Amino acid sequence: MALQPAAGAKDLNPQQVETNQFISSLLAETYRLWGYEEVAPPRVERLDTLMACGAISSNDIVKLVASEPLGLRPEMTASIARAACTRLSEKPRPLRLWATGTVFQSRESVEGGLCIEETLQSGVEIFGIKNISAEMELMSLLLKCMQKLSLSKYQNPTLLIGHTLLMDLILSPYENSLRDEIRQSLINYNSLELKQLNLEKDQKERLVLIHQLRGEPKAILEKLEGIFGNQEVIYNLRRLFSIIAPIAEKQGLTIQLDPTFQPQLELYTGIVFQLLCRNDASPVVVARGGRYDHLVRQCGAKEEEAAGLGFSFSIEKLRELFNSANPKLDKPIRTLVVFGEKSSLEKALRRQNELHDLGHQATVELTQCNGRKDATELLALRNCNKLEWLN
Amino acid sequence: MITVALAKGALLKESVKSFAKAGLDFSAVLDPDNRQLMIPSDCGRARALLVRNGDVPVYVAYGQAQLGVVGYDVLREHQMPVAHLVDLAFGGCRMSVAVKSSSGYQRAADLPPHSRVASKFTQCAREFFDDLDLPVELVHLTGSVELGPITGIAEAIVDLVATGRTLRENGLVEIEELFHSTARLVGHPLSLRLDRGHLQTIVEAMRHQNKKNNL
Repeated sequence: MALQPAAGAKDLNPQQVETNQFISSLLAETYRLWGYEEVAPPRVERLDTLMACGAISSNDIVKLVASEPLGLRPEMTASIARAACTRLSEKPRPLRLWATGTVFQSRESVEGGLCIEETLQSGVEIFGIKNISAEMELMSLLLKCMQKLSLSKYQNPTLLIGHTLLMDLILSPYENSLRDEIRQSLINYNSLELKQLNLEKDQKERLVLIHQLRGEPKAILEKLEGIFGNQEVIYNLRRLFSIIAPIAEKQGLTIQLDPTFQPQLELYTGIVFQLLCRNDASPVVVARGGRYDHLVRQCGAKEEEAAGLGFSFSIEKLRELFNSANPKLDKPIRTLVVFGEKSSLEKALRRQNELHDLGHQATVELTQCNGRKDATELLALRNCNKLEWLN
Repeated sequence: MITVALAKGALLKESVKSFAKAGLDFSAVLDPDNRQLMIPSDCGRARALLVRNGDVPVYVAYGQAQLGVVGYDVLREHQMPVAHLVDLAFGGCRMSVAVKSSSGYQRAADLPPHSRVASKFTQCAREFFDDLDLPVELVHLTGSVELGPITGIAEAIVDLVATGRTLRENGLVEIEELFHSTARLVGHPLSLRLDRGHLQTIVEAMRHQNKKNNL
């Protein structure tokens, strides 16, 4: 067998790379407009940084053989938070940063071996703001990115939002292992387990009722207020939705508030969200994020600045959606310079140089061609769309 | 369109019956001449994927099927991230430890440490013996597990028992039950969260059929 890439790794073809770059540059352009600065976190990190605050389980990290425990980054938030709290600690807050790059995750293959999944991500982080204003900016930026990507037209995007404080309210009457069991049942949507828990009938009915609460934010917040009374988290979420709901509506994006939606990770300490697009089959998570103040505190931030939140887009997932919807990317003019028997390679190279000076893409056909017709036929083969025939 | 993963074999007939009562008619899969693996429902709102038992939670976990019906034993063994929705109360059986009748073992804890235990359900067996703090060597077999103690490949087996007849006819006896298993309706958690009522109507109809088990 010919040499193959490592299990899980992918060789991208030029068209895939081009789409990746197109998406990345659209996102980068938007982040810059909003005043975010680019950082380039290292691909290799200490394991304790990567696993801080339960950001990821040890099994998911690709570990390196070294004298200290090191791993390849499975996401970029932990590294950026570390940099924000050390090298960039003197910078004024709010600190707005963005990064793009590959991340690596380890998983077990069906045959039992290890696979390394390498994927491209692009995302932003905002540090040092503890109140809802950071969420208001971040979610507005997320919606702007979606608008730039023009996914709303054909991919039914839904922004699914939860909040750890809402979950705390739901779980407040319960303690210890019972609390964990209820939390797991709610997060995993295990309605059967929820009904089989050792609880009083009225408590069970209350949990079942809460478990079914999800949908349009305004209506859900009203129902939550009816159950839990006047709470700060409900007030804050109302402020957030008053900003983002009209923007989302204009873009054709659905916002869904889901009080029992939480990722398994313990990293988050506030708002949590996923942006999903629904293609023919299953929902695809194209972006995810949330608030992670504990992580920033653990990275050594001063108490008054121990706050951070962000999101990251999965470029690969976006590319798949782009391909399935088949939007036409603007193709630049690519000229193929071809010479016949009355011209020469030297002349062709000089002409290519002239075209480059004018800022055009131009490639030289290195062998002589018999006629204009043959030269025209070469265009598709060389991935060019304009002919410069020298003869 | 709603996609439902159905397990071929013992649960199929009852699964089709349950979905029919909930408004999705997949009776075409029961036709002995049917060779199709993806069958649309009569109403055209849904389609059924006909897959092996162990593949039901896989299709549901990846979201390619939003709903599925499979035994609790398979769910315990595969531990896939699927939502357990309704106990459908059919396909009842128990996961048990069995030994040779002549062995004299009365309960699983009587087995000597590091005994060999044959099973198709090694994950369930591992969990059970770990809880007992009894180290055992697991031998993975894919069928006719009852042969384990007879041939001497293992001192005990962990397997599904419905009536107990196969065990008796092979000179084996049940000494401990791990858990009772019935068919379960499972779903893809994210699809259920994003559902606009289509899935929930089916789930509620199936829950309603089995009120007793889903209080």
